[in-house]
Amino acid sequence: MRTVIRWVRKWWPGLIPLGLLWIWAAWANTFAWETDLAGRAAAALKGNVLDQARVEAAGRDLKFSAAAFSEEGRQAALGIVEAVPGTRLVEDNTRLIPEAKPFVWAGERDVTHFTLSGNVPSPAIRGRLDDALRGLAGGTEVADRMEYARGAPVRFDAAAQLLIEQLARLSGGKVALSDSAVSLKGTARDLGGREAIADALKKLPEGFSVSENAILAPPYVFQANKDPVAATVTLSGYVPDNNIHSTIVAAAKRKFFNEQVVDNLKASVGSPPGFTQGVIEALGGLSRLSTGVLTVSDNDVKLTGDAFYDLAIEQIVADLQSNLPPGWHAKPEISAKPPASSVDSTVCQQLFAELLAKSKIRFESAKATIDRDSAGLLDRMIETAMRCPSAEIEVGGHTDAAGDADANMTLSQRRAQAVVDYMVRAGVPGDRLKAIGYGASEPLASNDTDEGKAQNRRIEFLVR
Amino acid sequence: MSYFVTYHWMWLAGAGLIGLGMGWIAMVQRGTGLSMLTMQIAAAILVLAIVLSVSRVLPGRFGYWLDLGLAMLSVYFVSCAIGSWLRERVIWRSAPPA
Repeated sequence: MRTVIRWVRKWWPGLIPLGLLWIWAAWANTFAWETDLAGRAAAALKGNVLDQARVEAAGRDLKFSAAAFSEEGRQAALGIVEAVPGTRLVEDNTRLIPEAKPFVWAGERDVTHFTLSGNVPSPAIRGRLDDALRGLAGGTEVADRMEYARGAPVRFDAAAQLLIEQLARLSGGKVALSDSAVSLKGTARDLGGREAIADALKKLPEGFSVSENAILAPPYVFQANKDPVAATVTLSGYVPDNNIHSTIVAAAKRKFFNEQVVDNLKASVGSPPGFTQGVIEALGGLSRLSTGVLTVSDNDVKLTGDAFYDLAIEQIVADLQSNLPPGWHAKPEISAKPPASSVDSTVCQQLFAELLAKSKIRFESAKATIDRDSAGLLDRMIETAMRCPSAEIEVGGHTDAAGDADANMTLSQRRAQAVVDYMVRAGVPGDRLKAIGYGASEPLASNDTDEGKAQNRRIEFLVR
Repeated sequence: MSYFVTYHWMWLAGAGLIGLGMGWIAMVQRGTGLSMLTMQIAAAILVLAIVLSVSRVLPGRFGYWLDLGLAMLSVYFVSCAIGSWLRERVIWRSAPPA
């Protein structure tokens, strides 16, 4: 022992180079050691579900901060960090993510964005919700403003995913969860979208219930565009079913004798009450315009364009407002087209003949009441009559030979007079017009066939 | 601790070399070396350092530097002992018989 102590007493000079080596080692290793230790701790934590995990090293000590989603997860992560080789002490700055009461979540859609906000219980669910939203967003920008919180209701993820799918059916709006209460507001993108959303909500996971469903249907739009240059009337928008589709197209063909009807209508549910009547009445108004656009949005009727003459404007507006179904509103914006240039009697006669070759003035069966489908034709006849102001016009009524000859004569006279009265009300001077009933005395075709009889029933215009 | 030693093995090896050299030289050095009082004071400081290290009182980098210094000092002392023992063996063999 004495020998060893004798040795030790002589070892002190070596402490000087040893001290220098120690200082060098400390200077050279401290940062590298800390980086290595923190890196290995972070690597060991991979796979643990933590939010904002951060490990900092100071010498052999680690400062570990993270938000855990459960107490078990927090303890497990702490154990992993403490077990990293080379670690001396671990400063535990971990916490549990806060509990949200109520647990609220929302998805919003506007023109340019999809936004998820509120609480989300875990990164895995957050990822699924983000993926689901990006899947349906297409090129639309997606913003994730969710924050982690505990306290999500059971099957939160399934409910939230179902609500995200409903966002795709909205043109704009918000879907939200407050604990297990579901609320929706906004406007469906397509007709039938509101009903589809209501159906989908029946598949919400057990325990969830709809507290508010304020999804509005999109406007039910029907449009007709009368283009005199192309000589077309283009129908577009929606109709409720095939029967009404056929009815409306047939009415359009009767009313627009001079134009080709282009049918771009699509069938969809959600039409307002009185749709068929409202649209046919509105088409009647459009048929009396030289050019115009009809837009029926739900039960609002907007008719814009040019009438053939001034008095027609009042008639069209009055007809529209009195004949639309209850609850419908007319918004006419009609002006009169500039008067056409005057022509002589010969041209006038030619114009009358051309118009009557395309269509006929129709009456209710066995009556002298002018069919409203003939309003468009009559407006053109009136416009033509105004172009030859000095000419006298004979309006001749003709019937087929069926029935009593005297009765036919009377009917033809009354029908011719009805046309004259109509023209006088439109502003054509009465002294220029003369109504004559010819009965069946001047047939154009044989009265033995239905086709021939139909040809014989007519109104003729003769310019003198 | 094993990771700590493995990570710093080169520095510990350096301390060992210094110790071996110092132990080897110390055997033929003239004089008696440190006084007993100085030795006692040095031993007390060493014990204090060991207590600080074991109790993990020094925080962060100071604790790390203390642990590193003690590890190097331990290797130094062991190496000194080996060096001195080897030198003594050499002296004993080469000494003429009495």
